Amino acid sequence: MDEIHEADCGCAEYNELSRRQFLGRAAAGGALAMFPDWLPKIVMSKGFAANRDIIVSVFMRGGADGLTLVPPFGDPAYYTSRSTIAIPPPDATVATKGINLDNFFMLPQAMSGLVPAYQATDLLIVHGQGQTNNSRSHFDAQNYMEAGKPVDPSLVTGWLGRHLASVPPMKTDGPVLLRGIGMASGLQKTLMGGPKTLPISDPTNYTVGGAAATQPQRLAFLQADYASAQEPMHADALDAINTVNMLRSLNLAAYRPANNAVYPANNSFAIALRSVAALIKQDVGIEAAQVDIGGWDTHSAQSPLNGSMFNTMTSFSTALAAFYADVIATGYPVTLIAMSEFGRNVRENASGGTDHGRASALFAMGKGIKGGRVLTKNWVGLARENLEQGQDLKVTIDYRDILSEIVQNRLANPNLDFIFPTWKAAMLGVTR
Amino acid sequence: MPMTSEHRAVSEQERSELEPDDTPNEANEEGDRRSRRSFMFFGALAAATLLPKQARAQGRVRQRRVIEPQPDPQFATARVTENIAAFTEWDAAGVTRLVRRVTNGIIPGEMTKATELGWNAYLNYQLNYSRINDDACEQVISSIWPLMSQTSDALFSANADTVRNSLRESTLFRASFSKRQLYQRMVEFWTDHFNMDVDKIQYLIVADQRDVIRKHALGNFQDLLKASAHSAAMMAYLDQNTSRNTAPNQNYAREIMELHTLGVDGGYTQTDVAELSRVLTGWTIQGRGQFTFNPAIHDWGAKTVLNLSIPAGSPSQGQDGILEGEKVLDMLVNHPSTAKFIAKKMLKWLLTPEPTDTQINAVVAAYRATKGDIKTMIRVILNESWLNAAPMKLKRPFHFLASSLRSLAPTVASITTVNNQLTALGHVQFAWDTPDGYPDKVEYWAGNIVPKWNTASSIANLNSAATVLVDTSAYRAAGSTAAAIDMIDQNFFGGEMPLVTRNGLLTYAGTTALNEARTRELLSLAMSSNAFQWY
Repeated sequence: MDEIHEADCGCAEYNELSRRQFLGRAAAGGALAMFPDWLPKIVMSKGFAANRDIIVSVFMRGGADGLTLVPPFGDPAYYTSRSTIAIPPPDATVATKGINLDNFFMLPQAMSGLVPAYQATDLLIVHGQGQTNNSRSHFDAQNYMEAGKPVDPSLVTGWLGRHLASVPPMKTDGPVLLRGIGMASGLQKTLMGGPKTLPISDPTNYTVGGAAATQPQRLAFLQADYASAQEPMHADALDAINTVNMLRSLNLAAYRPANNAVYPANNSFAIALRSVAALIKQDVGIEAAQVDIGGWDTHSAQSPLNGSMFNTMTSFSTALAAFYADVIATGYPVTLIAMSEFGRNVRENASGGTDHGRASALFAMGKGIKGGRVLTKNWVGLARENLEQGQDLKVTIDYRDILSEIVQNRLANPNLDFIFPTWKAAMLGVTR
Repeated sequence: MPMTSEHRAVSEQERSELEPDDTPNEANEEGDRRSRRSFMFFGALAAATLLPKQARAQGRVRQRRVIEPQPDPQFATARVTENIAAFTEWDAAGVTRLVRRVTNGIIPGEMTKATELGWNAYLNYQLNYSRINDDACEQVISSIWPLMSQTSDALFSANADTVRNSLRESTLFRASFSKRQLYQRMVEFWTDHFNMDVDKIQYLIVADQRDVIRKHALGNFQDLLKASAHSAAMMAYLDQNTSRNTAPNQNYAREIMELHTLGVDGGYTQTDVAELSRVLTGWTIQGRGQFTFNPAIHDWGAKTVLNLSIPAGSPSQGQDGILEGEKVLDMLVNHPSTAKFIAKKMLKWLLTPEPTDTQINAVVAAYRATKGDIKTMIRVILNESWLNAAPMKLKRPFHFLASSLRSLAPTVASITTVNNQLTALGHVQFAWDTPDGYPDKVEYWAGNIVPKWNTASSIANLNSAATVLVDTSAYRAAGSTAAAIDMIDQNFFGGEMPLVTRNGLLTYAGTTALNEARTRELLSLAMSSNAFQWY
């Protein structure tokens, strides 16, 4: 990819508050004078020119029901198994009808935010995918998935952490202070083991507080005090001090998304993606971000048409729509993936919900993703005789096949044996 | 209401109330101490090789292939480890480690008490919590947060935000200022073990905290589990209240085995989950939060859970249908996997992230001998030789905040602003939405240090009689900067402040006399220092 210049990256949208205007306003007085205006870096680092993407990894925690996210309306068993919670087919006459994708799968209205990326062939949906290990425990299944290998308690690091640990920093034209960021208060397993990787729940408010005049001295005290700390506290604290200084100079709160993208303020998942977008455009060296969205554990009152899951899907898709318009459509080299630890039972339960199941859907988005389709392999459908243990959609694609191809082709990291130990990936052609 | 540390000597009467030490002998045997040492050694060794050998080797080889071959120093270094050796300044022979481990923060009053009583008597003093007069704390609770003693019927009509904030604030207040410190630590432990999200169940959680968690936190595990299984809050949180015989909801049936009793590797299968979900049909809620058994939605067919056969019944048995579930709960309590799961989890909370088989077996034996008496298990876990050789544990943000309040010993009129710090700290109470509870892992929390520093700065500067007033006059009256730092040492570090921190504070303080602002900064830095993050 060529170097990205201001004109190429949707920067016209920033004109609303351009530097010149800002200077004018600041001169007119007011609190704005405290902050520099927010502008993306005009010339990106050489890393951006390399054929290597930044990765944004989204975990949909709780076991997202793939059969509601991307329902197979072409399978009659879908409707017989889900008498109260099915999405009406695209040819229905109700407003809640699904959006046809390929005459077999559809998206619910709550997922309509994904349509532009899908139509631009930048969004790939992989269905019937998941883990070969059949744990129906949220916590084991998340742990295995984030580790990149099932049932290995000694593997405390995550697949994305090991990706960072096995390539040199992407940014080569300056100091790299932070490579991985977990948009959370604690570091997600996915990122564990990553060098220069911190959990930061809100990068717009990452500070040590107190009097500004003494802050450098206080940071110096901390630097000395943690210099002799044991790992992981030592590295984390020193990375944190550097990051405080780095973020203070960015003014992320004033970030203006490109393409009129809107990250709704009441959508915490969207706000997290907004911060990731701002960090990517500031070219500070972030090359992996982990963002979580919960609310998928729909044991009861799933209500995909107007209730709980409708709201969760809406949060998910509007945030991805904003990120797509703001970052991916404007040409930044970013691949985004979204997945969940497992899917849910084919048949609904008496609570109007679904219990823990097996296969689900995975989403991959980026200019380097061969999208605009729903990828399946040996799709067996929902007829009871084809279900695992008579209740669940079978896993016919291992999620590591998808991730391996992305790691190798989009993240330019050939160390697949290190990132997904013992797994021999089958490349399914998910990248361009 | 000033809630400062207490220096009063233990009276003769209180002494006589202290239970005799009945710590099992095997816990103190020299053999165990040796194996413990070798464990520490191998633990450190393991920590250095956390990345699988094969993977590391492959990684190194592959590293040469990448285009820009400068080796990343982190690559070969495992930075994720749970076992962190204690500071050399930490006394390995006295009672400080016990005080640090059983409280939410070491303060002079507790040190005085523990030093007087000695290890076992102090541990018993904390274990027999109901004999500790906590009136001062409880009076504050009932005056500021009167909802905490209300029934669910009354709470139903209370303002939901008031209920939620009352529960959170009173929990922080008790954790910080109750004299029943070990009890508060165990309340936190069981709250995570039987975790619930207040957003889902609203006011129901208040009765659960009071009548399940706090009632049994230092009681018997069987009673605790059963109380939880008869809690309206738990029924609602894990969707048990919506389960029906026609298509049972498996949520509670799974988590009671995975998270509450057997553990995920405890030997149950997906079939057991489905069968138990049938057994539990009918366990539900009525009114505004009363647990009830509804025979009309119970599945009366025959079931088998983990080899326990439950013969088919009939609707004519009515309320007796609940006995099926009670039978399974008893079976789960008595299952060897439960003993092991609870023993291991308590060891991790109180002693070490990686307990040895010897330690696990000793606590399992205590569990089995007493059907899960929690005090007995704690006496085994917190024996002197094990604890003095144990690695440090990282304070989670809630613990850190309570520690800070204990050491600052402020006058508190409203704890709202302090409690709100938990949002940025990522540890709002009763807000973890999945049933596994907040993690207690170094690798999860270690990177979350900046919010702690920010909180330290914020609360050290609280100076309002209407909310929280931190009085710095004693430090400024100490006579010298070094004397003020000695006071900080006593109030924040149990007299074991690491040298690096002392030197850092001395340098920061400089040579001029301490003014108010600089004193507050010293307190803030003390709470921000590495040593204050550990216990």
